[in-house]
Amino acid sequence: MTDSGTGTTTEEGEAARGGTDPGSRRTADLAVHLDGITKRFPGVVANDDVDLRVERGSVHALLGENGAGKTTLMNVLYGLYQPEGGRVVVDGEERSFDSPRDAIDAGIGMIHQHFMLVDTMTVAENIALGNEPRKWFGLAVDRKRINREIRDLCDRYGFDVDPGATVADLSVGAQQRVEILKALYRGADVLILDEPTAVLTPQEVEGLYDVLEELTAQGKTIIFITHKLGEATHAADEITVLRDGKSVGTVDPEGTTQDELAEYMVGREVLLEAEADPCETGDVVLSADDVVVEDERDVEVVSGIDLEIRSGEIFGIAGVDGNGQGELIEAITGLRTPDEGTITFDGEDVTDWSRRERIDAGMAYVPEDRHKQGLVMPFDLVENGVLGSQRSEEFANSGRIDWNAVRDHSEEIIETYDVRPPNPDADAVSLSGGNQQKFIVGREFERDPDLVVATHPTRGVDIGSTEFIHDRLLELRQEGVAILLVSSKLDEVRSLSDRLGVIYEGEFMDVTDPDDLTEEELGLLMAGQRPSENADADASFRGDGSGASGGRGGDGRDEPTGDSA
Amino acid sequence: MRDRVERLLERLVRASAVERIAVSVAALFASILVGAVLVFVSGGFASCRTGLELAGWTFCYNPVQVYYELFLGAMGHPLQGGWSPMNYSLATTLQQTTLLIFTGLSVAVAFRAGLFNIGTQGQLVVGGLATAVSVVYAAAIVPGGLVGTIVLIPIGVLVGAIFGGLFGAIPGALKAYADANEVITTIMLNFVAVGVTSTLLSWQFQDPNSSNPQTQPVPEYAEIPTIPYVGFGGRMDFSLLAFAFAVALMVGVAWLLARTSFGYELRTSGVQPEAAAYGGVDDKRMVVSSMTLSGALGGIGGAFWVLMVHGRWLENVPELGFDGIAVSILAGNNPLGVGAAAFLFGILQSGSRSIGTATDVPPELVGVLSGLIILFVAMPEFFRMIGSRYVGVERERPARADGGEAGSDDGGDADA
Repeated sequence: MTDSGTGTTTEEGEAARGGTDPGSRRTADLAVHLDGITKRFPGVVANDDVDLRVERGSVHALLGENGAGKTTLMNVLYGLYQPEGGRVVVDGEERSFDSPRDAIDAGIGMIHQHFMLVDTMTVAENIALGNEPRKWFGLAVDRKRINREIRDLCDRYGFDVDPGATVADLSVGAQQRVEILKALYRGADVLILDEPTAVLTPQEVEGLYDVLEELTAQGKTIIFITHKLGEATHAADEITVLRDGKSVGTVDPEGTTQDELAEYMVGREVLLEAEADPCETGDVVLSADDVVVEDERDVEVVSGIDLEIRSGEIFGIAGVDGNGQGELIEAITGLRTPDEGTITFDGEDVTDWSRRERIDAGMAYVPEDRHKQGLVMPFDLVENGVLGSQRSEEFANSGRIDWNAVRDHSEEIIETYDVRPPNPDADAVSLSGGNQQKFIVGREFERDPDLVVATHPTRGVDIGSTEFIHDRLLELRQEGVAILLVSSKLDEVRSLSDRLGVIYEGEFMDVTDPDDLTEEELGLLMAGQRPSENADADASFRGDGSGASGGRGGDGRDEPTGDSA
Repeated sequence: MRDRVERLLERLVRASAVERIAVSVAALFASILVGAVLVFVSGGFASCRTGLELAGWTFCYNPVQVYYELFLGAMGHPLQGGWSPMNYSLATTLQQTTLLIFTGLSVAVAFRAGLFNIGTQGQLVVGGLATAVSVVYAAAIVPGGLVGTIVLIPIGVLVGAIFGGLFGAIPGALKAYADANEVITTIMLNFVAVGVTSTLLSWQFQDPNSSNPQTQPVPEYAEIPTIPYVGFGGRMDFSLLAFAFAVALMVGVAWLLARTSFGYELRTSGVQPEAAAYGGVDDKRMVVSSMTLSGALGGIGGAFWVLMVHGRWLENVPELGFDGIAVSILAGNNPLGVGAAAFLFGILQSGSRSIGTATDVPPELVGVLSGLIILFVAMPEFFRMIGSRYVGVERERPARADGGEAGSDDGGDADA
């Protein structure tokens, strides 16, 4: 609403460029050509005059930090948003999509980050949903035809998917292939994949790359959205980098290093690896002893986990989402009562303590779900700055909240953690995901905690801020805080953790020094497979891990962490 | 079309306080316009001796006079000669306003905690009886006169609040510990309240000197006193002191919600229970305590109904608790807005009586006019409540996926 004044300039600019289109000779080869797309949301320009040219039969990566406007741009192409300026050209024809239905008809398919599948239905039913071929004058669904067509598709693209399987029984990687099949079934020639690797194990990622290769070999065009440099350089034929809603340019991954790409994305030089100094551990801060947690359906999701974290140590938990790490964390932070086992914090048995008591005792917690838990969406940042501390002495005396102190505190978080816009009166819901996350991390880290439980602390956060959060985590560790880090980013847990527990189906497959595992080994462990050639070393790791949890003396236990340094 | 509706909703949700007041005033005028046409046309179908002759029809009702009576009649006709602010009509208006502030606050507090308390009526009935009985019995041991006033009124109000609060705690506990939906239980408990109080009345507390189902009267000195020479004296059943107390309570509730740890936890539980749990709020205890507070406010309403209006408890309690729901919605569940909404309801009640005495317009039609006003004024707020959910969800998507601050992000990184 506020930027209506700039509308005319953009359109003029676009008109000017239309006349001197340098790529017109190649238009015939382009499957998709977005020309000068501008898309605004109230108070924000999400796409500012963005160009994108995608050649037919290529894999094109759309790379950028969170908030760079990647998904907006693709939603414009997919008909979810109508742009304020610019042209959408598909197969050399200018198009205007009012809805995804129009985009699908034009041969565009989108695979969202979170799959849109009905878990209880079969693969075939999911794929045909909404496009079922009919028989008997439209009175019945022609299941035979569906199965035949899906099998044809699978054969053509080399997919190994059983049309009769129930989706809930499939692995995440297979579910993704079902999503891709669904798009192909609807006749998609251009496939948009939104952060396709976010939910996959490293092995499944390799599988996805193979699928992409097969698809492009058969003439399909792939656009995939990512903020991971490695993926972009590995899988893409061309990379377009977006920054702050503008296109920085399109590069060839062959002649570009990851450092250069990172610089394009962020606009300055970045250190990609966090530097971890050797840690000096102190007393045990948190220990979990044989913790068993059942979920709402009485299914055992955490099956007897032992762990022990000392002050000045970062303990990482790696695992594919949904293997019990969420429930374990909730049991530790007091949002869930363990069914068996004890949790000890600063030498006291806190198993029955309320969440309130644990916060007061010095437990900080960056939750997994920032939208539901970490922030109160309709509240402004001042009010969010006191969430969890609303009864602490610092901000409240005799039941009254000192809002001036809270405001100062929130402004400090905003400044230190670079939350944008730097406006404490902005509602949490108006912030982008990365900035919401920065605010939560800031609030929790500055609680002066003894223990920080950080679940995906940099999820959705751009590279620059990720670097800052990592540094801050290491500073806290240096100050003697115990840190429990859960992340689905392997390089993050690997580089930050002093010890690493790999969780699979509610149990630790291994507790070890992360440097002793290669990424492949780690991936296999996360998938529940013990690398056979490592059988001996593996056994010794486990012995060490359980010994530590059993409360063995510090000297013997510190050794492996010392080696890691 | 869909786009336009979305934009309209979004504008409504983001409207500032001034804009919202302007919208409400515009809605009021629109409702008057529609209502005037309605009154005028209905007048064409009524029979009367004198009326406006037009094209062979006789229009009996004068819309201008009807609305004049509705609004100015509720004040006791301030534009006519010999007007005194301390008149019976204004007393009725303010009496209703006072009582509706209590019940409106009761509903609003529960709403803000994410609970739909339909049971304010029952809490008011129970609290009222407790007040009447406690004051009648306490009067036997407390000296009369000024001392009696100073001792008995606080006792009565406190007992009303306690019993209303306990009666409100029941659905709270049922929700917290037995997962029973509070809408259902509060509705059912309204019937329980009526049945239990009526049984108690006939069993123990019936006034032996009366054949009507009612308690003994409280002593005159235990009724809420009026201010001599300034206040509404005589038999107007209204006290400025009670009104002042209601306004003070309203400010107090607003302060509680905005400034205290409890209020913060209550509001957080109301908008996002998961975030409240994360922030260390015990959700079960919060449900019980917010329902108790809500019930206590309803009980105070009952206490004032007893001590200010009738001086005793009667079996046929007016539906102040149910009107409180409408008042709260009209006020957008904002405690300070409750005052204005309650005043509007007070005017409509008192003004309707005024129309009845001054014109031939049937009471049913007057009810329609009141309904129109409430409907028109409440609708924008209602759509705002719905819209904030809808727009909230919609907005999350672009915000999360694309990052709100692309524009303002400019430069920042480059500087660093």
